[in-house]
Amino acid sequence: MTPAEVAVRLRTRFGDGAVVAVQDTLLDPTLELAPERLHEAALFLRDEDDLCFDFLRSLAGVDRKDALEVVYHLLSIPRRHGVALRVKTGRDAPRVASVADVWPTAEWHERETFDLFGIVFDGHPDLRRLFLPDDWVGYPLRKDYTPPAEYHGIVGTREGSAPVTRAQVAGRPQVQAAMHGAKAEELPGFMRVNMGPHHPATHGVINFLLETDGEIIRKASPDVGYLHRGIEKLAESNLYIGTMPYTDRVDYLGAIFANHSWALAVEKLLGLAVPPRGEYCRVIASELNRIASHLIATGALAMDVGAFTPFTHWIREREKINDIMERICGARLTYNYLRFGGVARDIKPDVVDTIRLWLDHFEPILREFNRLISDNEIFVRRLADVATISAADAVGFGLVGPNLRASGVDFDLRRDAPYSVYPDLEFDVIVGKGFRGVVGDCYDRYWCRMLEMVESMKLLRQACDKLPEGEFWAKPKVVKPAANEVYAAVESARGELGAYVIADGTDKPYRAKFRTGSYTGLSIIQHQSPGLMLADLVALIGSLDVVAPEVDR
Amino acid sequence: MNVVQHAADRFMRWAFSVDPSTWPHAWVVYLAFMLVAAVVAVGFVALFAGPVTWIERRVAGRIMSRIGPNRVGPQGVLQWLADGIKCFLKEDLVPEGADRTLFRIAPYFVFGGMFGAFVVLPFGVHLVAADLNVGLLYVLAVTSLVVVGLLMAGWASNSKWALFGGVRSAAQLVSYEIPSAFALMTVILFAGTMSMQGVVAAQGGFPWDWFVFRNPFLFAAFFLYFTAAIAEGNRTPFDLPEAESELVAGYNVEYSGMRYLFFMFAEWANLWIMSAVATVCFLGGWQIPGVSPAHVAAVEGFAFVGWEALSFVIFAAKASTLVIIVVQLRWTVPRLRIDQLMFTCWKYLVPLSFACILGVLALMVVVRDGGTVDLALRAALLIFGFWVVVEYARRIRRTYLADKALYERMEGKKLWYPPYRMP
Repeated sequence: MTPAEVAVRLRTRFGDGAVVAVQDTLLDPTLELAPERLHEAALFLRDEDDLCFDFLRSLAGVDRKDALEVVYHLLSIPRRHGVALRVKTGRDAPRVASVADVWPTAEWHERETFDLFGIVFDGHPDLRRLFLPDDWVGYPLRKDYTPPAEYHGIVGTREGSAPVTRAQVAGRPQVQAAMHGAKAEELPGFMRVNMGPHHPATHGVINFLLETDGEIIRKASPDVGYLHRGIEKLAESNLYIGTMPYTDRVDYLGAIFANHSWALAVEKLLGLAVPPRGEYCRVIASELNRIASHLIATGALAMDVGAFTPFTHWIREREKINDIMERICGARLTYNYLRFGGVARDIKPDVVDTIRLWLDHFEPILREFNRLISDNEIFVRRLADVATISAADAVGFGLVGPNLRASGVDFDLRRDAPYSVYPDLEFDVIVGKGFRGVVGDCYDRYWCRMLEMVESMKLLRQACDKLPEGEFWAKPKVVKPAANEVYAAVESARGELGAYVIADGTDKPYRAKFRTGSYTGLSIIQHQSPGLMLADLVALIGSLDVVAPEVDR
Repeated sequence: MNVVQHAADRFMRWAFSVDPSTWPHAWVVYLAFMLVAAVVAVGFVALFAGPVTWIERRVAGRIMSRIGPNRVGPQGVLQWLADGIKCFLKEDLVPEGADRTLFRIAPYFVFGGMFGAFVVLPFGVHLVAADLNVGLLYVLAVTSLVVVGLLMAGWASNSKWALFGGVRSAAQLVSYEIPSAFALMTVILFAGTMSMQGVVAAQGGFPWDWFVFRNPFLFAAFFLYFTAAIAEGNRTPFDLPEAESELVAGYNVEYSGMRYLFFMFAEWANLWIMSAVATVCFLGGWQIPGVSPAHVAAVEGFAFVGWEALSFVIFAAKASTLVIIVVQLRWTVPRLRIDQLMFTCWKYLVPLSFACILGVLALMVVVRDGGTVDLALRAALLIFGFWVVVEYARRIRRTYLADKALYERMEGKKLWYPPYRMP
């Protein structure tokens, strides 16, 4: 169903005033809704059988200078169609109805938007800042934001920063970081423990505030923002190509994917075609990177449940991938490999041979690994039937990638929203079947990743065989897209990695937003945690494959 | 008569030309010899616990396809000295809000509990500090002191993570003491004594005389004891009190420097204790194949030292093999969850250990020692045990050869380590 048809459905249901405008000229046609109709329209869009927009891909705030906007990208997994919604609100005292009860994933997205734009979401259950400290003054992604000259004695270096007045300091709310929350005596019968930010099981600097009854967890609330670098703000002040190295840092275990989604978005804005060899180079790099990322994910999960050896074996194999990546693009971790219109360097024939050699080498090692850990009875019992995520929860909380598929939802962007040359290649989409327990348990998430590595190997073999001759980079003369906006997503190792880019005709993006898999993956932990044991929580975090910088960006 | 008393007697006869049984000042010499023996024993614990850390790290390195410590001394054998010196030089921190007294003395409880067990361990024909007639009971009792120490460390640290570790260890150690004690009970029944030397003397030098192959229930009891002892020693898969990925370090998370070292020390020493007890009770202890203990006890002079050393080497070889198996186990399997841990203990190990006691009793009544049934049982168990050993070696060989082939194909050069280089 096209956005225009969706607009017709909305107008027949809620009257002509519900949809203020249909912006057909955009690359992703957008429906502008009347703010007071937003909540019921969202419910209608989700529940109506032929619309069935059950998946909120991204929720982004935009500062239009005269007004603030919230943009919702919706997707229907059963119907395979999408639509973008837009709601305008005034700059002074901006208020928008919350859709957190329609799509649970919106809870975190709205907190982020509140944090960075100051838009208040009415009806939100827990509207706090997400990344920045609670006493931060101002909303950084607004266009008129000036960074403070001083924060708790830390002097801002940027010239032109407004001096902090005494009145501002006096009016500041007290610091209320999670670790200074209610004391134990306020929670009779429960113990309050900080798990993190320096804890081996949190895979990076994330803090979980646990309320436990002995070993059993009553609630685990994630506290993020320790690694927030503000890539979205950086992107606004950089050239389009200048943002490419920053995208490496979005997800350092799968740097190619953020490269790819950024390149895809800008290429769509430019209307640029990539030569076939460039596309194949991208696929080869992506699939190598996917295997490398899954190696870390599965190895770290094994380490979280107490087996150290699998991790070191996987690191050894990942080193070989890093060697290959180094020969492809000169870097081992942050590749900066993709360019608009192709890739930075060609893949030489001898590297292709090395990839084939490594694939032959890796297959028996995968079997050895399964002997070592996947079939280990203790390992299976630690993961099977633990922290089961239902398909409805997975979709509602916006889980993507292997996490979503492990819950039995058959959805893979490579197949269902094809990009690059994936339609030409054959591969299976791995869906959780309850391999050792029930569908959607930790073991399914683990095993889906293991099977996906096999699929990636299949893809790599095909890509190596089919690698066409010719140009690998159709270099554009200028990168200055006309005013437009686009949402482009790729299937990263951690699922949908989307870039929402608004161009305004200059050589810098007006707004860029990254939607990542770890972000939504982390947001489900609070919902899943009650009743888990401490060791299960560690397994859950490990099985969701959360990477801290991808959460904070 | 133990070796210390023996040596003291000889010393008095040689130095003062007196009869020690009638000389009134003999107790001074005995005391001096006892003190020296105690220092030697502490030294032995240190000398054992130290190199075992190196062995563990090298074996772990091999299992994890990395190298491990190889810088301090030849092949890194002195790594433990460097670590020890480093730990002694570290500041001894006591966290704010901790119960300072308890926090400070907790490591000594743990260490004392472990060290106390060394008193009755027979390392050779006469190499035992005190051959108590309740030796096995004493080992079980004195190692319980460790629980007190761990709980004390966890609770006094004023850290919730340490408390988790302390409470976990208390629950775990108290539970697993039951199956381990009952598994040893089968040996006590079979040998008819609780004395460690008595248990060794009841066995023989050859494998078919070891208790483990004497009847199926003792065979099962060996594995029950071994499992329970691993749990008591906080080793993977039962390392919940430490659980690096859950509790960071568990009960000792707030410790630093020397006190931390004492916990580590106790852990490695315990590794030796559990292996030594298993060797004494099930694997024939220091028994020299083909030589009766009476013969060894009767020899005098320089040959005495030789026989003594040989028995010690045999004992150490058996115990070290078990140590290496525990180390290999640690780096192979994941960790259980706390409920699974309790489930394993109370639903499997405890009933099975009861069954073993009943089974041993029944067989002792029914089967005549040295009869046809007895010999058939021993032969069957021996073949089974031999098969286990062969299969173990075969699997290691297979993995090694597969890895070697893969490495040489991928890298285009020879594998850097030969199969016999164990660590």
